[in-house]
This record gives sequence, C-alpha cells and structure tokens, in this order.
Amino acid sequence: MSDLPSAPARLANAIDALTRFVGKAIAWLILPMVMSLVWEVVARYFFNAPTVWAYDMTFMLYGTFFMIGSAWTLQKGGHIRTDVYYAKWSPRTQARVDLACYAVLFFPAMAVFAWLGSEYFWKSFGQNERIVTSPWLPIVWPFKFMMPATAVLLLLQGVAECIRIFGRAFGPGDPAPPAASPVPATDPDGSVVL
Amino acid sequence: MSTEWLGILLLAVLFAAIFIGFPIAFTLIAVGAIGGYLALGPLALHLLTLQVFSVMRDPTLASVPFFLFMGYLLEQSGLMERLFRGVQLALASLRGSLYVAVLLTATIFAAATGIVGSSVTLLGVMAAPAMKRSGYDIRMSAGAITAGGTLGILIPPSVMLIVMGPVVGVPATDLFAAAVFPGLLLAGLYIVYTLVRSYLDPSLGPPLPMDERAESIGEVVRELVFGIAPVVVVIFATLGVILAGIATPTDAGAVGAFAVLLLTLVYRRLSWAGFRSAVYSTLLTSCMILLLVAASNYFGAVFSRMGSASLIAESLLGLDLPPTVMLILILAIIFVLGWPLEWVPIVLIVVPILLPLVQKLGFDVVWFCTLVAVCLQTAWLSPPVALSAYFLKGVVPDWELSDIYKGMMQFMVLQVIGLGLVLAFPQIALWLPAALRD
Repeated sequence: MSDLPSAPARLANAIDALTRFVGKAIAWLILPMVMSLVWEVVARYFFNAPTVWAYDMTFMLYGTFFMIGSAWTLQKGGHIRTDVYYAKWSPRTQARVDLACYAVLFFPAMAVFAWLGSEYFWKSFGQNERIVTSPWLPIVWPFKFMMPATAVLLLLQGVAECIRIFGRAFGPGDPAPPAASPVPATDPDGSVVL
Repeated sequence: MSTEWLGILLLAVLFAAIFIGFPIAFTLIAVGAIGGYLALGPLALHLLTLQVFSVMRDPTLASVPFFLFMGYLLEQSGLMERLFRGVQLALASLRGSLYVAVLLTATIFAAATGIVGSSVTLLGVMAAPAMKRSGYDIRMSAGAITAGGTLGILIPPSVMLIVMGPVVGVPATDLFAAAVFPGLLLAGLYIVYTLVRSYLDPSLGPPLPMDERAESIGEVVRELVFGIAPVVVVIFATLGVILAGIATPTDAGAVGAFAVLLLTLVYRRLSWAGFRSAVYSTLLTSCMILLLVAASNYFGAVFSRMGSASLIAESLLGLDLPPTVMLILILAIIFVLGWPLEWVPIVLIVVPILLPLVQKLGFDVVWFCTLVAVCLQTAWLSPPVALSAYFLKGVVPDWELSDIYKGMMQFMVLQVIGLGLVLAFPQIALWLPAALRD
C-alpha cells in the first residue's frame, strides 16, 4: 500500500468521516428523547399539566434517530445479513457478490426512495403542512425531510462501501479475511447487539 | 399469471435474495419495489414512503431505543455484577449456588433488557471466572449462562414482542403480559434442573470455597439491601406500570432508562467511555432493527395487496390436518427458519404470512405469538448456528465451543418441555393478560 491513498480511497474516507460524524451526533438524540418523555410524565402525574409538545417531539426525534443513523450502521456493518452461505465464500467471492447486490438491489432501491422521499417532502414543504391531529400543530416537513436525507446519506455511504469492496473484489493480492463472528461490546464506538 | 401466484414468486425471489447474504433491509425494499411495480404498478412505489413514514411515527416502536438504552446502560454500569455477587453470597453453602445466582441475575436482567447479546456477554464476564474457581462443570455452566441470557428476548420488555405487536395487530402490552409466566416457567425449569443435578452429583456444582463466601450475615444483608434492592425496584416498577396499563411501554421505557441512568450516577459505576458506548450501541442497534421493520413493513404492504397469504393459508388448510398438528408444523417451520435467520426477519416476514392460517384454524393470536417467541428464543440455543454460543465464547475463550454446545443441548431439552407445557396449557400464557384486562 502506498502512503498516499488514491482519489477513490480518499473519497471513501471522506464519506466515512461525514457519515460517522452525522451518526455520532444523531446518537445523542436519545437523551432529549428520554428527557422530553420524562418531563411529560412528571408534568402529567405530578403537576397535572400535560405538555402539548412532548409526544410529537419524542416521535419526531425517534424517527429521525433511526433513519439518519442508518448510514453509520451500514458503515459499521450493522445491518444484518444471512451468512449461512456468505460466510463460506472466499473474501473475493463475497466482495463480488456484494458488488452485484449493491448494483442490482441497493442503488436502485435507494435512488427510488430518495426520489419519492423528496417528492413527499416538497409537497409537504409547499403546503407548510402541519400535524392536525396534535394540539401542538407542529410543522411536519422537517420530519418528512429525514426520508430523502436518509436516502442520500445511504447512497453516499453505499458509494464508499463499493469503493472498498471493489478493491477487495478485483484488487491485487489476497484480500484480508473478514472479521470473526461478532463479539458484542468490544468496540468503544458501540456495536449492534441483538 | 394471477397476482396471487406472482406474490408467491416474489416471496421465493425474496428468500433466494436473502440467502445470498446481502443486508436484508435493502433486499426487502428492492424486491418489494420491483415485484410490486410489476404486479401493482406505480402505486407500489408510493407505498414505500407511506410505509416507512408510518414506522417513523409509530408510538409503540419508539420504545425500542429506550429499552435498548436501558439494557446497555445496565450492562455498562456494573450494577448487575453486584446483584450476582449478592445472590452468590446469600446462597454460598448450597450445592449449585452459582447456577442459581446466574439464573436469578439473568431473569432480573431479562426484565430490564429486550435483547440476548448483552445478557449472555454480561453473565459470561461476571459468572464464568467464579464458576471456574469453584470447580463448576463447564458444560452446565455454559448452558446456564446461555439459556439464562436468552430469557432477555422472551421476558418483557422484549424488543421482539414490541416488534411483533403491530405485525399481528395485538397491543404489545398483551404480548408482554402473556410472556411473563412462560418466561418464569422456563427460568424455574432451569433452576430446578441445575439444583437437582448438583444435589445428585455435587461435583457439578460444589459448595463455594471459603474466599467466595461472605464474612458475616451482616455483609450479605447489606449487599442485598443497598446493592441490589434499588436496581430491582427500578426494573420491576418499569415493568409493573406497563403491565398494569398505567403507562405505555414508551413512557415507561423512557422513565426506566432515566431511572437507571440516575442509579448509575448515584453508584458512581458508569465511566464516560461506557456511557458513550451505550449511547452509540443504542443508535446502531435501533437503526438495524427499525430500518428492517420499515423495510419489512413496506414489503408486507406490497405482498398483502397481492393476496398470496390467503392463497397459502387455503392450500395449507386443504391438507386437512388436525389443527394441533398444523400448529406444531407451523412452529417447526419457524424453529427451523430460526437457524439461518435472525428473529427480526422471521417475525416481520414469516409470521405475517402464517398468521391468516393461524386465525382460520381458530387459535388465539396472543397464545400463538407466545409460542413463536419461545420457539425463537430456543433457536438462540440450538447448535450449530447459535449466536449465544459465540457471544459466550467471545468473553470466555478457554471454554471449548463443543462444551458450550453440549451445555446448551441440555437446556434445549428444558425449552422443549417448556414449549410443550405452554402448548398443552394455554392458560400459562393467557391467564395474566386476561386478569390484567379485568
């Protein structure tokens, strides 16, 4: 490996850094999610004065939380796959299969999602749509914006993944074998544990 | 080709694509969109935003991050070690006391967490060294740790049951209530089994050496009151208000997570690194589960519009088997699929396909869900594709995988007995939900 990464590798690293930054930032939303519901419960049961905003706030944060965080989860290999066959293949075969699946499944699906999500968002934005079933009447378009935003983040992260996978699929030498079976809670950045 | 048969084809394509090994969430969206577009036209594409959005604003699913957070915080906080140590001190002179300590800690931890992984790791880290020092049988120790750990997915607040609720159209609270006694029944079976075997053959679980025992009764009492009681109170208060219908799972999950956070601050056991790791793991695991829920919700919406599920139900009904045989067949299918697949795709894809059949056979849906939950919990324990064995091996590397497997097999027999009891006596599952409703 040369000291200076190639242009595609630099691009992949830049996307990784962006995704990681967004993911880590979004992860802290768990605290306002917890706090706004705690506030609501205290206000309701102890002061008999329920808030109008706590539920809508929590649900919008929750939706944002798991959608926007999905790209970082993809980077960390957190979206589960069925590896009964996959695990038996050589790293090179795995990489080629992954590349084909990104091309046939991932990119078309996420492109459709990005496109439809933007339409959905623009319509809401144009009407300045509000949640009419809520006494708080919050605007809903920032929340709907999370769908196209998620799709774009996933598409970007998909590009970064494919750059790396391409190296393993067609690069010189023997690609490194994949990591052993997951051991939870060893990664200081957290890990997916079911 | 009729739409129904197109749906069956779509399902076959989906399973083929899933077994290729690409992340299931994206496979579901892609196969759903392509198949749906061919069968239903552009409507199928627009369902995508609608279905994803409905998951983004689902009030019950919003509890998933809270229960994950609560479990990860407890895992990082060291409070469970204290609980384990307390039970160990209290029972030290009993044969097999460490098994009981493991299983009681596991059962209590299961009432705070909704997943298996943290439970097995945690129990392995804290119990395995003591079990080794005290000369416990490796197989039975490994079996107790893995089996106890899998209770996390069955005993409420189980993330699996929260996800299953909307899929089968039953409130998650009912499923929680129905899982309580089957969960306790299994925990009881484990404890009785380990105690009886240790009593008959003390070499399996000898009384603890003196340095593993308490100095005095006072130490035991102090540990039980100050070390354990607060955590146990928080955990059972959280669960209690959900089961009693006082608060929704989401409210209770948020308050429970907050209470655990306060406890860890009071006990000064949580490091900044541990806290950060709990926050990040909560995000990553939530994303994995909930994106998959959103994707399955979309695939399900396309698939149900094709009417194939009732075609499958009718053709299976045409076999004219006795209902009980059919039910056992369905559970066997779910159990077998639990080997290669995680519980998430099974609950989200397979259960909705089989649900119309279960309803036509006249079975109670809550009871059926409980049986499915026990089946899927058992799948965590069935070698050779048993994740809990890998989790345990990861934290106790000097235990052979073959010994861990042999230990798990013993507890699988108990699982089958437990499942049989819930099958034979539906009241074990159905009594509590009914009692709570009145």
